[in-house]
Amino acid sequence: MDVLLGSGVGLEATIHSIAQGGYGVISEDFDALMIGINKGRPLERELQDLLRKIEDDGYKRVVNTMLNNVTQNTDIIDTLRKQGQRMEEKRTEKVKAYIEDLGGVPETLLSIGMMGPIILSIVGIAPQLMAGAEELFGTVDQGLMMSIVNIGLVITAAGMALTGIKAHTKDPGL
Amino acid sequence: MIFTVLEMFRHQPLILFLFTFGIACAAGGVPPIIERSRRRTIESDLPAMLEALSDSIGAGLGLQQAMMAEADRNTGTLGKLLREAMAESHSSSFDAALANFATKSRSSQVQRVMHLLATAIENDAPLKEILGSLSRDYERLNDLMDLRESDLMGRSVLIMLFVSLGLPFLIAFIVGLFAPQAAGYQLESFNKSFIYFFGAASFIAVSVGGRMLGRLRHSLWWAPLWMAISMSIYHVMVMIIGG
Repeated sequence: MDVLLGSGVGLEATIHSIAQGGYGVISEDFDALMIGINKGRPLERELQDLLRKIEDDGYKRVVNTMLNNVTQNTDIIDTLRKQGQRMEEKRTEKVKAYIEDLGGVPETLLSIGMMGPIILSIVGIAPQLMAGAEELFGTVDQGLMMSIVNIGLVITAAGMALTGIKAHTKDPGL
Repeated sequence: MIFTVLEMFRHQPLILFLFTFGIACAAGGVPPIIERSRRRTIESDLPAMLEALSDSIGAGLGLQQAMMAEADRNTGTLGKLLREAMAESHSSSFDAALANFATKSRSSQVQRVMHLLATAIENDAPLKEILGSLSRDYERLNDLMDLRESDLMGRSVLIMLFVSLGLPFLIAFIVGLFAPQAAGYQLESFNKSFIYFFGAASFIAVSVGGRMLGRLRHSLWWAPLWMAISMSIYHVMVMIIGG
């Protein structure tokens, strides 16, 4: 938007270009906005409607800047440029934080994946290892032990999945 | 020897199925890798091309002339596509050739740039500034994408090697050493549970590794093969170490 507006392209043409440009959710929103404009609704009202729907802080600021430009004729180019720079810095920080956050994932996965099976393998073979020591430890049921092992393995796999899920939840979406 | 190896898996139809299925899936996993490599080559060349176009337009050339000059200079994939587009522009319009160039590149970055250029041309906007600005923007974006790729690739591979290869080997070693089948330990259901666990753990490792790099769907093509390898390592190592 900064590039187009800064080069003298009008706001409506810029919105249209973004709507057709394949920028994901923003393109979808702007496309809906253009449909409204083509039906005869004023740009101001369309932007106000869009502003109400948005949840992301940065996106909200961009649309608010556009709305201010339409209603008060503010300097949209300068504001958008500053917002763009700020968002870009934020994105870079987010990517670096994501890389740092995932630094310990291999070790954590291996720790969970190793500790669980090692303990459970001992539990699983314990009835047979202690076959001659019933007087000392009492009778240990092999079936019960295998049930414990199976539940433990499921929990271990779930733990590994939960450790790895932050690769998805913290993704900055580059 | 082949029959001896197959005999080892006589009671493990799931591993045999996953191996067969995994090899078939691996064939589906190769095209996304090739396509991604091609797309990234194009996207890496894009900022330099935009900068060159900006310079040429600044020197007084028109966009079409600047593109033709760049198509002659650029020897990479992007240059090849641009040459094709320029050749097509003789038989159709320049706008149609640009649109075709964007579609053929199969890169969202190139498609966005071409769309932006088309809007700028329609509105008689100064192309030199636009191209220069886009060049800087996409250079920064590509640097960030490369940083993510280079930093996380090692960790992703490490996860797969640790969980899919190291872990079953380690547990098989412990089980084979302390409860060898040769000594009469009855471990059929025990081993079955662990084989399934390593299959699941491998699937998780491949998924996490793929998600870290931002290509989960592509990595899933390789999941059955990694699962089969992991399960086989445990099964075979328990048999070998446990006698």
